[in-house]
Amino acid sequence: MASDRSRRRLVVTGVVATLIVVTVYLAGGVVAGVKGAARAVVFPFAWATDFVARPVGHMVAGMVDYSDLVAQNHQLREELGQATLRADENAAAAAQLRLMGQALHVPWVGSLGTLVAQVTTDSPTNFAATVTIDKGSDEGVMDGMPVVADGGLVGRVIAVSWHTCTVRLLSDTGSVVEATFGDGATSVLISGEGLNNPLNVSGIPETAPLGVGSLLSTDGLQGGLFPPGLPVGRVTKLLVSPGSSTYAVSLKPTANLNDLSYVDVVLWEPST
Amino acid sequence: MNQTRALIALTTLAVVGVQVAVFTQWRFAGVVVMLVWLWPVVVGLTGLTSLAVVTGFLSGLLFDAQCATPFGLNALVGMALGYFVSRLGKEGVGDLDSAALWVTPIIAAVAGASAPVLFVASGVLALDFSLWRGSLLDSMAVNAVAFFFLARPLARLAFALSSPALRARR
Repeated sequence: MASDRSRRRLVVTGVVATLIVVTVYLAGGVVAGVKGAARAVVFPFAWATDFVARPVGHMVAGMVDYSDLVAQNHQLREELGQATLRADENAAAAAQLRLMGQALHVPWVGSLGTLVAQVTTDSPTNFAATVTIDKGSDEGVMDGMPVVADGGLVGRVIAVSWHTCTVRLLSDTGSVVEATFGDGATSVLISGEGLNNPLNVSGIPETAPLGVGSLLSTDGLQGGLFPPGLPVGRVTKLLVSPGSSTYAVSLKPTANLNDLSYVDVVLWEPST
Repeated sequence: MNQTRALIALTTLAVVGVQVAVFTQWRFAGVVVMLVWLWPVVVGLTGLTSLAVVTGFLSGLLFDAQCATPFGLNALVGMALGYFVSRLGKEGVGDLDSAALWVTPIIAAVAGASAPVLFVASGVLALDFSLWRGSLLDSMAVNAVAFFFLARPLARLAFALSSPALRARR
């Protein structure tokens, strides 16, 4: 009986402790410190496991996919050559465009600084679409900065430590991006629907000039979370429900969110 | 009991390490297998309720620190799994030597299918109503299957680590 009581007391204590943790999380502040401490505790174990498991994984992958690796290597060399050529051409064009943008006072994302970062880990859970990258506050990354890759927006920084930061991807269910399309007259909200699902767009009137393949970009409105002009995704499905005056739109992100190796952090802070 | 607690605590840290370093990289149908949820389940099978609940809390909280989901939810799920399975464990249901071969895997599979639902439902506590829009069904299916296969070897480990406490209880 006493054992039953103590067990019940333990469970109640545990539940209360968790509720306190969740409440503190909601209130903000202290949780960052607790998380930092917990990460520090786990780090040696994760590092040791990674140290042992990674070479084994590489060896197995190398044995199984050797032909693929050789083919990929050839393809990458070819693409690198083409990219170098394009980069040289683009550098001149970018400089010219920057000058024009300054003269016209047009905000243009190309004029913003970027920082190349490597993706180190994917989201460790099924309920958050995030990646960790190898640049942090020491390299100038700040909370809220947009992250781009592969020709489009990837997400934004949500937590920064000294040498790493966590990026919430567009596909995360907590991600919302203000975007526009066509002539920029209509602003819409793009929300994430989970790791393997297309993005969802709400609030597009039936009269809007939109079709499959249309590109949506960040609108950069005053007080927004992103600078204007970052490509977000292309329309893949356009449905009108009976009786509804708005489109139900599915969007494929411009960047391949499932295969990120390197990203650019846009050194732009959201205005407050 | 102290020796068991220390061993289980150390193993819990190692399990979180393996989860973060290895299981995060291995996705099945885009889903991560949640070893940090399975661990309190197999500790619960020993019937040591307090140990299972504390293990669930610890593994969940340490894992919460690595994620962008609301802090504390994995701890809550871990505790709940540890508690409920330990009630079965107390009745000897999960005893690897006397129970039928399929019992432990089936209990673990049910826990694997229930845990994501519990996680999403507990999101309400953190005022996060968007978790259900993620890969809930995929997560249930993949974790159920993975827990089915991983349960027995991990349960062996949990029973081996808990043997001093189990002996003392007898």
